[in-house]
Amino acid sequence: MDYFVLVIAAIFVNNIVLAQYLGNCPFIGTSKESGVAIGMGLAVVFVAAMAAVITWCVQKFLLAPNDLGYLQTIAFILVIAALVQFVELFLKKVIPPLYKSLGIFLPLITTNCAVLGIAIICQREEFTLLETLIFSVASGLGFMLALVVLASIRERLDLARVPISMKGTPLGLIMAGLMSLAFFAFKGMAS
Amino acid sequence: MSSLWKEFSKGLWKDLPPFKLVLGLCPVLAVTKTAYNGFGMGMAVIFVLALSNLLVSLLRKVIPAKVRIACFIVVAASLVVCVELLMQAYAYPLYQQLGIFVPLIVVNCIILGRAEAFASKNPVLLSVADGLGMGIGFTISLTFLGSIRELLGTGQWFGMQVLSDWFEPVRFMVEAPGAFVCLGVLLAAMNAFTNWQRRTKGLEAVQGPVHDCKTCGMCATKPGA
Amino acid sequence: MITASVLVLFGIGLTAAVILAVASKLLYVYEDPRIAQVESVLAGANCGGCGFPGCAGAAQGVVEGKAGANVCVIGGDSVAAKVAGIMGLDFSATEKQIAFVDCTGGVRAEEIYQYQGARDCRAQHLLYSGAKMCPEGCLGYGTCVTACQFGAISMGPNGYPVVDPNLCTACGSCAQVCPRGVISIWGMTARITHVNEVNDCLAPCRQRCPGQINIPRYIEQVSRGDYAGALETIRERIPMPLSIGRVCPHPCEGVCRRGNVDEPVGINMIKRFAADWEMNSGTRLPITCAPDTGRKVAVVGGGPAGLSCAYFLRRLGHAPTIFESMPKLGGQLRYGIPEYRLPKAVLDWEIEGIIGLGIDVKFNQFFGKDFSLESLAEDGYEAVFLGIGAWMNLNLRIDNEDAVGVSTGTEFLTKVGLGVDTGIGKKVVVIGGGNTAIDAARTSVRLDADVTLMYRRTRDEMPANMDEIIGADEEGVKYLFLAAPTRIVTDDAGHVTHVEYIQMELGAPDASGRRRPVPIEGSETLIEADTVYTAIGQKPELSCLYDDSGTCTLEETRWRTLGADPDTLQTALPHVFTGGDMHTGPALVITALGEGRKAARSIHQYLNEGAPHVPANMQRDMIDYTMFTHVPDVGLRERSTMPHLIECDERTCSFKEIEGAINEEQVKHETCRCLRCGLTCYNRDLAEGQTCDAEECLKNQ
Repeated sequence: MDYFVLVIAAIFVNNIVLAQYLGNCPFIGTSKESGVAIGMGLAVVFVAAMAAVITWCVQKFLLAPNDLGYLQTIAFILVIAALVQFVELFLKKVIPPLYKSLGIFLPLITTNCAVLGIAIICQREEFTLLETLIFSVASGLGFMLALVVLASIRERLDLARVPISMKGTPLGLIMAGLMSLAFFAFKGMAS
Repeated sequence: MSSLWKEFSKGLWKDLPPFKLVLGLCPVLAVTKTAYNGFGMGMAVIFVLALSNLLVSLLRKVIPAKVRIACFIVVAASLVVCVELLMQAYAYPLYQQLGIFVPLIVVNCIILGRAEAFASKNPVLLSVADGLGMGIGFTISLTFLGSIRELLGTGQWFGMQVLSDWFEPVRFMVEAPGAFVCLGVLLAAMNAFTNWQRRTKGLEAVQGPVHDCKTCGMCATKPGA
Repeated sequence: MITASVLVLFGIGLTAAVILAVASKLLYVYEDPRIAQVESVLAGANCGGCGFPGCAGAAQGVVEGKAGANVCVIGGDSVAAKVAGIMGLDFSATEKQIAFVDCTGGVRAEEIYQYQGARDCRAQHLLYSGAKMCPEGCLGYGTCVTACQFGAISMGPNGYPVVDPNLCTACGSCAQVCPRGVISIWGMTARITHVNEVNDCLAPCRQRCPGQINIPRYIEQVSRGDYAGALETIRERIPMPLSIGRVCPHPCEGVCRRGNVDEPVGINMIKRFAADWEMNSGTRLPITCAPDTGRKVAVVGGGPAGLSCAYFLRRLGHAPTIFESMPKLGGQLRYGIPEYRLPKAVLDWEIEGIIGLGIDVKFNQFFGKDFSLESLAEDGYEAVFLGIGAWMNLNLRIDNEDAVGVSTGTEFLTKVGLGVDTGIGKKVVVIGGGNTAIDAARTSVRLDADVTLMYRRTRDEMPANMDEIIGADEEGVKYLFLAAPTRIVTDDAGHVTHVEYIQMELGAPDASGRRRPVPIEGSETLIEADTVYTAIGQKPELSCLYDDSGTCTLEETRWRTLGADPDTLQTALPHVFTGGDMHTGPALVITALGEGRKAARSIHQYLNEGAPHVPANMQRDMIDYTMFTHVPDVGLRERSTMPHLIECDERTCSFKEIEGAINEEQVKHETCRCLRCGLTCYNRDLAEGQTCDAEECLKNQ
């Protein structure tokens, strides 16, 4: 498979948030300020890539040979939870500045369905290890793109006069819908 | 009994997820292409939510506080595996339809949110009532949202042709953008209704429930910490 | 299969646990357990008011020593006490900080610019740079109201936000969202040490007042009947509203914007009303002081500057001691200003209140004789304020100046103040045109003398207050303008009998802008006199600064005053500060009070930060664009007049106070005359529709 197409497809065509409906909670929840959005996006890129690679290995070397495919969910979530914890410890010790900027987002990521979702998609699509890595990074970037764009829009929307019932989440969702509509235009460009 | 009913009924309106308690948006958006999908997803969530609340509540005195989140996740994941297996056995087409979102129930904020916020602090019966109520509320919401989208998007309801030929289906509604917009409009309508109620009581209009980490309850707790 | 799945899951779990366990050992970062403890007692609102990112950050900051026990702005003293308990820190009750709204022009925001759509201050600021008359003021859309998590801000009836001090936690959200910086979080210390900055909301009166009193604010407070609040506002700038309310020549009124319409607002009358209200109520309003720092500061001189400096040092928590050479405090207020202008009882009451804050006073201590800078340092005083005033009189430099019966106006007034015999005769000539000359003249009238005031220019050039000049006229003081003394004529006993003077005429204007008097040759005339008081100027007595060998560590200016940085009032010695007449030369009481506060501010900074500093945008001169004279759309309203307590003929034989205070109704009228100016904005009657509208006022004319 053409890796370039894979990247384009993951970021734009099958954008993980806007087309695949994954990671919507943090997408709506942390898109109020662009600074927060960038931190969250980076954390997702980072963790999603590592999680996808490790879960790929778990699936390939542990579950598949023993014919335990049905344990995928429970095994993956365990791996991801442990991974996030490990990354937190690691960053805290080794790269404190990075921990300072990403640290507060790490706990949120365990329950971010984008991370688990990317890992599972990689299995369902039967990607190779390299494809898994590329796909997960690209998907994470797609998540970050959507998040940062929505955050920038919502920062401006904060200043707008809207009916009070529309303020906040409803308007955020509708903006996300419009963004999704825009991303819809990529459909069919790459599969 | 009354407290049991209170915990059960709050999920049906007062804290109705995902409208009042803005949690677990991914399945809400993803699987509500049709009312049937929404209903099926809702049933799966009821199963997991009620049982996870039951187990967490039973184990709440045993689980050490430091690893409680990890334990909750394991409990939820085990239940999700059960649901997966059950669906594969008895509702395979639905399982196919819901796809990746069945395993993703495990990271649905509602499950962990209720476990952390309610079940880990309350007795078994109340926790089950809470889980059932929330689950049923979630199912109703999903079915409702699915109905609207299906109706407008295809003219059908639960697969039955409801609107006749004069209606031109709006394909937009069953695609991803439609899901966002539809949920957004529904939330706004919900807020508008609440505000209308408040105004009749002479209170000031308020902004709807805020969707952020605080509603989820997860953010305050580091997993395993 | 079940065995396999259990084994695999168990294996994964075990592996993860082992890896994490190893990792947590290997990658262990020591985290002080106190961080978690501190975090658990903090309020948990994550409001960011402390300046740390959230409560967890604040807890870390406390443990790392970056913040004190009182880090949490919401929690108040109870939380601070708990944090202090965990950390073993000293916790002293903190001063309450609240949000403070400086602008009062919100309702006028829409006057110039028709805002379109967005009703949000930040949006307005982004879209139209918030264009309105004033580049600094409140836009009046209440973004701060929505930003406040605690419901402490509401939009007041006048279109600007009003802070409820009881609900405000000083978290700073409002200050953050305000695009104009109208709201700031100020504690008492910050308010006291603030100096006018050019982008403050400075009405002309506020710019002009040498004491930098927030005049529009206290007028507004008085108009609401909040006299206590008004006094608090005044007392954040000067300690003596009672005395100032009586003796101030109110330069503020000279620039009052209403003065361009009819007559200036009676600003000082309003101040005096509020101050009298307190005195007549019989109870003193409490004056808050910051927690004690225990740092000793010597204040040399108990005049207005010294009192003001000591008062503000005390309010900032320090321990000042006043060294006074006289038996009583007050300086020129007591010994220079006669009883009929400032009754001693009033002054005593006021000084009592200041000293009551916990200020030490040592009487009859002469600087340079009884103590010196060195002895003060030995006694543990960390800083010194020199404010010994300007008590040395300038000489006439004419013949027989030292004749019997010739003395200085200040000496005479001091003697009257002390209640000792003045030796005044029946025919008094006072030489000079300043306030001291008038005081000497009017005091002489009261001592049953026939008084002539000799001044070398005309009435228009007299530096004395107009009220005073008129008052003296009313009391029968004869003016002799365009006359300069040339010689004192004495009898054989050396006692003065006549003053010879020469007629002058006004020539070209000199550097000061006043026309220079030129003598007319051969016009010498004699005027009979048995007593002559000279009051042609004073300067500080700086000999006390010189040691026996005639050297002085401090700098003396060519105006014979003590040299110091004009902004910080720090002298050549870093721990010595000055202010008042000693620094400026003879000036107004309000100037001395203002300098006292400035010096206290500098000393506070010197003690805490090592060096005093002033903001770069400090307001020094009147701000040009605010000084327009065309003030349209304002209706005429007559100025209230100060009632005279005693009639003219009775005045000449009594030292009773002349001017009374205006009554409550007049105060209401006077505050209603205030245009509530900002830098450029002001209330237009026509737009505002206040209670007494322009037509009604015109009818009353």
